[in-house]
Amino acid sequence: MATVTFDKATRIYPGGEKPAVDGLDIEVGDGEFLVLVGPSGCGKSTSLRMLAGLEDVNAGAIRIGERDVTHLPPKDRDIAMVFQNYALYPHMTVADNMGFALKIAGVNKAEIRKRVEEAAKILDLTEYLARKPKALSGGQRQRVAMGRAIVREPQVFLMDEPLSNLDAKLRVQTRTQIASLQRRLGVTTVYVTHDQVEAMTMGDRVAVLKDGLLQQVDSPRNMYDKPANLFVAGFIGSPAMNLIEVPIVDGGVKFGNALVNVERDAVQAAADKGDRTVTVGVRPEHFDIVNGESEGKSLSKDAPAGLAVTVNVVEELGADGYVYGSAKVGDEDKDVVIRVGGRAIPEKGSVLHVVPRAGETHVFATSSGERLSD
Amino acid sequence: MAPAQVAGATAGAGGGGSSAAAAPPPGPGKGSGPRRSVMGTRPWVAAVFLLPALVLLGALVAYPIVYTIKRSLYDADGSAFIGLKNFGTVFSDHGILTAVRNNVVWVVVAPTVATALGLVFAVLTEKVRWGTVFKLIVFMPMAISMLAAGIIFRLVYEQDPSQGVANAVVVAVHDTFTDNAAYPGARPRPNSDLAPSAGGSFTSKSAAAAGTPADLPLVGIPQNKVPAGAQDARPASPQPGVVTGTVWLDFRPGGTGKPGVIDPGEKALSGVKVQAVKDGKVVASAKSGKDGTYKLPAAAVGAQLRLPASNFSGKYEGINWLGPSLVTPSIIASYIWMWAGFAMVLIAAGLAGVPRELMEQARVDGANEWQVFRRITVPLLAPVLVVVTVTLMINVLKIFDLVYIIAPSSSQQNANVLALQLYLSSFGGGDDQGVGSAIGVILLLLVLPVMIFNIRRLRREGRR
Repeated sequence: MATVTFDKATRIYPGGEKPAVDGLDIEVGDGEFLVLVGPSGCGKSTSLRMLAGLEDVNAGAIRIGERDVTHLPPKDRDIAMVFQNYALYPHMTVADNMGFALKIAGVNKAEIRKRVEEAAKILDLTEYLARKPKALSGGQRQRVAMGRAIVREPQVFLMDEPLSNLDAKLRVQTRTQIASLQRRLGVTTVYVTHDQVEAMTMGDRVAVLKDGLLQQVDSPRNMYDKPANLFVAGFIGSPAMNLIEVPIVDGGVKFGNALVNVERDAVQAAADKGDRTVTVGVRPEHFDIVNGESEGKSLSKDAPAGLAVTVNVVEELGADGYVYGSAKVGDEDKDVVIRVGGRAIPEKGSVLHVVPRAGETHVFATSSGERLSD
Repeated sequence: MAPAQVAGATAGAGGGGSSAAAAPPPGPGKGSGPRRSVMGTRPWVAAVFLLPALVLLGALVAYPIVYTIKRSLYDADGSAFIGLKNFGTVFSDHGILTAVRNNVVWVVVAPTVATALGLVFAVLTEKVRWGTVFKLIVFMPMAISMLAAGIIFRLVYEQDPSQGVANAVVVAVHDTFTDNAAYPGARPRPNSDLAPSAGGSFTSKSAAAAGTPADLPLVGIPQNKVPAGAQDARPASPQPGVVTGTVWLDFRPGGTGKPGVIDPGEKALSGVKVQAVKDGKVVASAKSGKDGTYKLPAAAVGAQLRLPASNFSGKYEGINWLGPSLVTPSIIASYIWMWAGFAMVLIAAGLAGVPRELMEQARVDGANEWQVFRRITVPLLAPVLVVVTVTLMINVLKIFDLVYIIAPSSSQQNANVLALQLYLSSFGGGDDQGVGSAIGVILLLLVLPVMIFNIRRLRREGRR
């Protein structure tokens, strides 16, 4: 068991100017499950491969425990990696695949056999040990890849989108299996995914990357409640947070026909920077529908309070539903997503008046994208 | 060469024939008009389209095979049936047995080494920046005809280092590590103190004394072989306690010099090794300087002086590449030069199909580069390696041109292979087409198992 430290680690691909990973600075605690998440091309896989030793580190350092591994070859790092396509050796049986690392390390045969069988039992693979990978289903192959990592008893597990080749149902199932297995073994794990649901459900902490730059590292809860900037706000959560640019008025910000109270300091901070507008983020579940009722916050008496949203599409999911509509903010039409109760689904084409719930709004500076409210 | 090509073509024709036969024969149906096969063709139309191929295959492939087999059972002028006597001749003739033995060496060594080299090239070029350029260069010999390659290597293996690059390299390397003899052919003046001793060296009869210069006159070096910068010889100054003397060419143009005396104008011989020998053991040694003088320490007093053979031995001639013992390995090397590129290109193509992650996974699993190569790369490339080796084996069984061109007539018998013997027996002096045909049939039989193996493997692959 060990900690993992990225100390301003930077990777510039040969022939490129812009770093693929730019000064990555993360500390992963002993036994922690850290998820690297971000859109494709954000450098998350590169970060993982740098930790594995499969990519050079051009600047900065990477440490596993107290050991500086920045320039060590992969074989000396005591890590196990699970690849997206599992990278099972096609010419070896499942047992040989799982025992390969031990065989290379010179462990005796009886011991290899014992440890492979133990791991196979944990992963329910005992009856497939004599098979070749091509005679296994996708889920079984995924488990063999996991088993190969477990057998090693390494200091760190590295997983590069290990679930993306599974079908949706199996993915959800395997997701919890991997998370619980990791808790049980207590091995420090760095997990890469592009799926923010995986990130939120599996990780102790989540690190969001964009264009090689670390945006935020935090627990899933905090990531959801207090996204550090516009990018994280838009990336974390499904459906995505509504981000609407609104003008600053006295005492708050003008949101459609309603005035939304946000922290005075936040608005002040934006105004000080010379911004005339701020971007308000509201999650779909944090809209209240105020059809016809006057909440007393309405700016003009003759129109109903809140933002008028024309319903375009309704997604019914049973327990609840999502309304995809458009609202006129300023002179532009903006797409808005609103969660509604499963029993009160509005009709297509109808108009809803919504106001964001007090205390659940996020305010970001329009110019820099940084969070203003706390 | 011809029989093996014939075998390949027959195998192809066999495959085509069986698939054609598999189609249900459409028969004429009554009342419902002419019946057609699935493709909508009438049988006679199909036959017309098949005819050109069948005629060509029959005339160029099937008939020659049958005729060759028949011819192998007749005598030299093809008039009398003699059964299997030709085969008996093949297996009892000494020259032909050499050919069989050489063919075995060829089939075992050439494809293996070419494939191994190709594998190494393919794996290594993947890692270097200019890999494609390297591959192109290694592949280039494939563009040369066997005949041209043969001529190239005939020159490469030329005995004279100024013509054959192989010997030029060998001689240069040899001369770098071994002192070349300075004065080949030099010898002492007859009736002088120096007398020939064992191994081409010369030893003085009297013992060397301190204080009196022991001069060592040599003759037998033509004036034009004396190094251009040689100085005039100078008598060594007597020194107490050490042995001194001069080594020089005791000859002056025009024969005006006196024997045993250092006359003015006689050239010093520098760099000659002088040893002092006591009871058969070398107790001291020295080299003559620019003016021909040498100086041996006190230990040499009372010893006999010897000029070792290394001063006079002839020039190193290099290796006799095309001599009887090396001719086959030399020709195999030229074959590998041509075909390693072919192996490399095929293996590199196979390597491109192997997922990178497998190697990376192995590295993460703790394997070093050699273990990755040995346990992952090679097993994954095994199918390609088999294809390349088998292809080269078929190719090597038919080898003719390289051997015919490279081997000089003096060692042609030592380099003999079956295809060459086929030619020699039939046309090149043997004038016995019966024996030639018998060799052709034997070659066909040798190629067949490899062909069958290859076809079965291809079928298996196709089914997968």
